[in-house]
Amino acid sequence: MDDEQSRIDALRRKQSEIGNHVIDEYFSGHISRRNFLRAGSVAGISIPVLSFLAACGPAPAPSTPSGSSSVKIKRGGHAAVGCLPPATALDPLKVDDEGGLLLLSQVGEFLSWSGSSLVLQPRVAQSWSSSSDAKTWTFKIRKGITFHDGTPLTAKDVAATINLHADPANGSNALSVFKGVLAAGAATAVDDVTLRVELEAASGNFPYLLSSDNYNLIILPANYGGDFSKTFNSCGPFRVTSYQTGQRMSVQRNATYWDKNFIPPLDTVDYDFYTDDQSRILALQGKTVQIVSHFAASDGQALFKDPNVKIIDSRSANHRQVHMRNDMEPFTDKRVRQAMALALNRPDLVQGLLNGKAQVANDSPFFKVYPSTNTSVAQREQNLTKAKQLLQAAGKGSGFTVQLSTWRGFEIPDYAQLIQSSAKKIGVTINLNIVDEATYYGNAVFGQSIWLDSLMGITDYGHRAVPNVFLGAPLVSDGPWNAAHFKNSTYDGLVAQYVATADLSTQRRIAGQIETLLLDETPIIFAYNYDATGATLPNIGNVRMTGDFQLDLRSAGFTS
Amino acid sequence: MARFLIRRIAFAVITLWLLSVLVFLGAHVLPGDVGRRILGAFASPRAVANLDRQLGVDKPLPVQYLNWLSGAVRFNFGSSLAYRQPVSSLLGPALLNSLKLAAVAFVIVVPLGVVGGVIAALNRGRPLDRIITVSGLSGTVVPEFVSGIVLILLLGIVIRLFPVTATAPPGSGALTQLYYLILPALPLVLVLFGYIARIARAGMIDALDADYTRTAYLKGLSRRTVIWRHVLRNALLPTIAVIATQTGYLIGGLVVIETIFNYHGIGQLLFTAAQQKDFPLIQATVMVIGVVYLVATLLADITYSLLNPRIRLGGAR
Repeated sequence: MDDEQSRIDALRRKQSEIGNHVIDEYFSGHISRRNFLRAGSVAGISIPVLSFLAACGPAPAPSTPSGSSSVKIKRGGHAAVGCLPPATALDPLKVDDEGGLLLLSQVGEFLSWSGSSLVLQPRVAQSWSSSSDAKTWTFKIRKGITFHDGTPLTAKDVAATINLHADPANGSNALSVFKGVLAAGAATAVDDVTLRVELEAASGNFPYLLSSDNYNLIILPANYGGDFSKTFNSCGPFRVTSYQTGQRMSVQRNATYWDKNFIPPLDTVDYDFYTDDQSRILALQGKTVQIVSHFAASDGQALFKDPNVKIIDSRSANHRQVHMRNDMEPFTDKRVRQAMALALNRPDLVQGLLNGKAQVANDSPFFKVYPSTNTSVAQREQNLTKAKQLLQAAGKGSGFTVQLSTWRGFEIPDYAQLIQSSAKKIGVTINLNIVDEATYYGNAVFGQSIWLDSLMGITDYGHRAVPNVFLGAPLVSDGPWNAAHFKNSTYDGLVAQYVATADLSTQRRIAGQIETLLLDETPIIFAYNYDATGATLPNIGNVRMTGDFQLDLRSAGFTS
Repeated sequence: MARFLIRRIAFAVITLWLLSVLVFLGAHVLPGDVGRRILGAFASPRAVANLDRQLGVDKPLPVQYLNWLSGAVRFNFGSSLAYRQPVSSLLGPALLNSLKLAAVAFVIVVPLGVVGGVIAALNRGRPLDRIITVSGLSGTVVPEFVSGIVLILLLGIVIRLFPVTATAPPGSGALTQLYYLILPALPLVLVLFGYIARIARAGMIDALDADYTRTAYLKGLSRRTVIWRHVLRNALLPTIAVIATQTGYLIGGLVVIETIFNYHGIGQLLFTAAQQKDFPLIQATVMVIGVVYLVATLLADITYSLLNPRIRLGGAR
């Protein structure tokens, strides 16, 4: 026991202040083993050290940090993946869609990988640590990594990649994550293996912002010239052999991949692009493809019942936001917004819309999947009587008519109809305006977008391993995605505190305050967050999927 | 004949010009800024304005139209907004794919439809006629997405006779490509068979009842000779027109079939371009489909006039 304690002490001496705080939280029983692994990985504690400390702690021994089991795979073979086509050219700066981000994750490599368990796994970064104020982060870059063209990767490449995305002149999609945290030029290479990042504001979850969770951030060479869709030069597990726009991307295993334990068993993989979910599902059933990436639960009924198919299921923070314009009648009165939220029967939505592949949410982006979520805040449930009383008190007892705008995709039109019928029960008439995706989002800036300008709308949001983006862009007063036009200085202050906080118990305390405030204000209805669901044929194993629908095929292959 | 041809081509050119104006205006009355669409929500207004200037989309509409038209007549349709590559590099392969699928469907349905119609007419009022007519009509009224899915489930998944997608693996030979195209061609055959057979049957019945047929019989010619030499030639004239009008549909109108079978033809390309508001691609694709329709109609007119001098001479007058 003394030996064990002295080893723990030795390990603790090597950890940062934040790391030691996380260890204290765990040993005092304030956080679970799973949350310790997750928070520890953010604080830069290495996976072996985390595993050792977890085993020494109060709870029973965990499985692998990734939380996923493996099957025996034979080397070789060719697999076909049925996936959505990228909506645009495959440009790491611009990709903002499911098809595009999946392909980037096959060819590219990230500083760290945010898997289904939300525990960060080191990739290009071997380890990381922060200053005590969480404003300066230092990453140790792994030696021996080469780009697909043979050029060695150094910290200069990593710094250049981060600065490329952080520069507003380049219009990177990653700016949605970096806003207020990271400015252009903030990343510097101290030497070939050390990267330092100075933040504009403290961020306790910053490693997530540079991980695969920020899917645009595959590491590019320092001399990147904007030609990724021609060169596909990164350092991921697969190299592109051909790319046919709108049709298919073909890859072969990267035999010089840095992690020798994870050189893909598959020789080659085709990513066949399908514009229609039903076609992909039929292609899997017809064995034209062996893997289908994420499909909507509403489209996948046939697969859930098919004994010849294996479902890949991953908890995630994917969700829909129903915004109500806080600055426009009739939603200027928060009682009206609360009434709209109270009209919904959330368990029925989860079952009816998503076949049970979802969890009920509580009108804030603190979903149950996040360790920092304060679960002591009471869940909002359907209450039609109270909803009617609130409308009466707000002077809307005779009801009103509003238009709900959204786009045609996944279960969203059905969700809109269910909101319409729920609202009818409290005397509110909703007219639906369902358009195509491009029309709904428009130019994604205020004044040029149905999404951002409509009185009421449903918007789809993809998974993030930490709720920072959901707390910021759609809800803070100057948020670029603030479709609800919600302006609340108390909320803004709480979010700034939350984002700056590194330790889980403080995060949870602030989360409770935010959850309570959002329940009271209800600028946006968060009714559910749904699982990421994919499928494979039975003879394919070790296919992993993240909450934002990236595939990890580094260990995947044929079982027989 | 020359004047007839010139008139027809002149009409085709005017129609195409009108189509180009409509397509261009249709694409430009929709709200949205091209530069913003390409650079995204987070680009600075200055960067957006610079790109708009580079692309020429800040110029007056008539100037933009003339620029676009001058490029289009040289087959330069500009660059796709979504894919950032020349439109022609996307359009060419898609058109070729559509032509392949249309060819396979044609090869199956045209002989089948014509023979079906002729057999039905020759057995007018008998059970065989009823079977052909009713089954043809049933196939025509079933939407392609229904017959397509049913055929995939039956022939692709249960029996596993054909692959469920239409796109053959890269580098496949002609026979493999043909094999992959048979299943997606079948719903088209179902849709078109009834239509072609019905027209062929009607034409045959008219020709069989015509005075010249009775005269031919009275001259003592055998039934086979009468049908081959006198009836068929006249009976199939309307069928040719129908087949020609379906050519445009078979090449440019197969959005549903191409989507179900994941086939990268011009219909799917147009569908994707419309989803992404990729205006240069939409304009070019619609124009190409328009050209296909017009060329098919022109060929039908020419064939029709060659087989029927009255049309030709009427046109000449």
